[in-house]
Amino acid sequence: MKKSCTTEYTECTEEKHFKKLRVLRVLRGEMLFAFLLAALSFSAAARDELHLYNWNNYISDATIARFEQQCKCRVVQDYYSDNEEMLAKLAAGATGYDLIVPGGDAVEALIRSKQLRPLDKSKLPNLKNINPIYLNQRFDPGNRYSVPYAYTVTLIGYNVEKIRALGLPTDTWAVIFEPKYLAKVKGRVTVLDSQRELMAAALKYLGYSANDTDAAHWQQAKRLILRAKPYWAAFNASSYIKELTIGNIWLVHGYSNDMFQAAQDAEHAHRPFSIGYSTPKEGAVLALDSMVLHKSGPRPDLALQFINFMLDGKNSSELTNLIGSGNPNLAALPFIDPKIAANRAVFPDAEGFKKLEMFRALDRQQRRVLSRIWTEIKVR
Amino acid sequence: MRSERLTRWLVTAPPLIFMLVFFVLPTLIVVAASFRYPGEYGGLAPLVPEGYTLETYRFFFSDVIYIEIFLKSLWVAALSTGLCILLAYPLALLITRLPKRWRDLMILLVVLPFASNFLIRIYAWMIILGPQNGFSLAVNTLLGFFGIEPVRLLFSPFAVIVGMVYVHLPFMVLPLYTNLERHDPAWLDAAQDLGANAWQRFWKVTWPLSLPGIYAGSALVFIPVLGMFAIPDILGGTGDILVGNLIKEQFLGTRDWPFGATLSLFLTLIVLAVAALAMRFSRKRLRHA
Repeated sequence: MKKSCTTEYTECTEEKHFKKLRVLRVLRGEMLFAFLLAALSFSAAARDELHLYNWNNYISDATIARFEQQCKCRVVQDYYSDNEEMLAKLAAGATGYDLIVPGGDAVEALIRSKQLRPLDKSKLPNLKNINPIYLNQRFDPGNRYSVPYAYTVTLIGYNVEKIRALGLPTDTWAVIFEPKYLAKVKGRVTVLDSQRELMAAALKYLGYSANDTDAAHWQQAKRLILRAKPYWAAFNASSYIKELTIGNIWLVHGYSNDMFQAAQDAEHAHRPFSIGYSTPKEGAVLALDSMVLHKSGPRPDLALQFINFMLDGKNSSELTNLIGSGNPNLAALPFIDPKIAANRAVFPDAEGFKKLEMFRALDRQQRRVLSRIWTEIKVR
Repeated sequence: MRSERLTRWLVTAPPLIFMLVFFVLPTLIVVAASFRYPGEYGGLAPLVPEGYTLETYRFFFSDVIYIEIFLKSLWVAALSTGLCILLAYPLALLITRLPKRWRDLMILLVVLPFASNFLIRIYAWMIILGPQNGFSLAVNTLLGFFGIEPVRLLFSPFAVIVGMVYVHLPFMVLPLYTNLERHDPAWLDAAQDLGANAWQRFWKVTWPLSLPGIYAGSALVFIPVLGMFAIPDILGGTGDILVGNLIKEQFLGTRDWPFGATLSLFLTLIVLAVAALAMRFSRKRLRHA
């Protein structure tokens, strides 16, 4: 009897010890993080450093190196993988970033929550290089706070050989939403794990604006999505590049930059197939990322210098040549790989451009309604 | 007498303060946040003039869908815990029967996966379960013999359960092992002398004595699985959303902190209930023993 009690006792302490270890591990991470933040804010004030908060893989190393040489300063980079992550981090109180590269609706959110510094355009002579169609957008009329950096288009990517063999169209959202097409690629399709992107694709297919907030239209889009869902393999916003490259997935709803990477990877790996991508004729979402100055950044002078540097045609072209991003900079075109520049999915003609839409920010009530629809889509 | 009480206070104070600062206080903040309005661009709306509201709770109960997700998460957690027990029990028992030298090696092997990053281990399962790989091909060839259509393993509820069980298995093995290791072989001899066969010896002696280990292991598996979001995100298909994903979505995609707070509050309540239940059970056992 006594013995079993002691067993019990050691059992208990063992368990507590175990729990504490885990708590400690978590805590250690937290402390390290706090320490890093402290270190960051310290050094930022002291040295000639530009703190750049950018998307993953969204600038060429060569460009950074050249800027560092020119400004005799250091560029310290921090990364995010979506606008929400970046906004959430800023909302939670992250500071010390001189320059951020958010998408349009995130720019709008940052402006309205008064987190940005107005730009001193006298320091930005290269602003003239930007194609005027990308200026003066609704998220920042008159570009008081933001300067276009690069853009992506949300479109359809596919395994060229498979899709051709199955005789499926690649110029319409129908191929993602219509069961008659989907039946041939069941379990080989992924769509973006993003409330707004998927909703926009459905709305576009139904002939509405990507920014439509009419509840009835949202319900209609939901029904369309639910009807197509059984044929999809997953909602995926990251590993679909790899799945497409190795041939597990044949058809995806995704970003043009990612398709460029998948196509390149498939080519380099000498796959027996190639990856293609095209913008559906119903229209699509264009995400324009812009450079903005965050109020918490200690070095707006370096940030302005950097913006002007990035507005230079050659510097700007390096990003496009690296990741296949769309480029709003007219002076960059001569430096861009002709194969990329000729791709109408990334550099649309005037007719194609009219069909592209940028997201507007939703208000909190709309976000809640959309979130519930999204949850229903995921559960049902 | 007084000094004894002082010592007791001194010993219990640090964990008590720890719990207060890192559990009670944050939970109270979460409670407060759940009664606020969401900020227009994330965060919370200013307290003045918007104030407090019950709107978020009304929203939660306005649709059964959120309760459905909670039930589903509880089911996934229960299933993963059950599978962990099934897999861990024979393993732990086997390890205790090995010579001392081998035992330590085996325990080292059980904890070895912790040496690599959690996400990398999950990504490894993506490769293992991928349709082009040996495991998937073998399963589908086998199914083919019985005339069953090939199945997709990756991006499925199956993959989610595999991931959950794989990641949390050591948390079941370790407490079970520490429990089983302390069983005196003499008890089994005594049972045998009294005429118990192998099955009776296990069911009447080993099993009841190992229950505290099972409770401890179950709590260590059930609770983290309940809040897990990374595994369904990476391995799940189009329908595999759990409470953890829903909460993450509120803080990132939807930027609706009050609703996220409400959801995590319900999750915390469930976790506390489970912990209390586990404690009650093991206490009861203690009295009976």
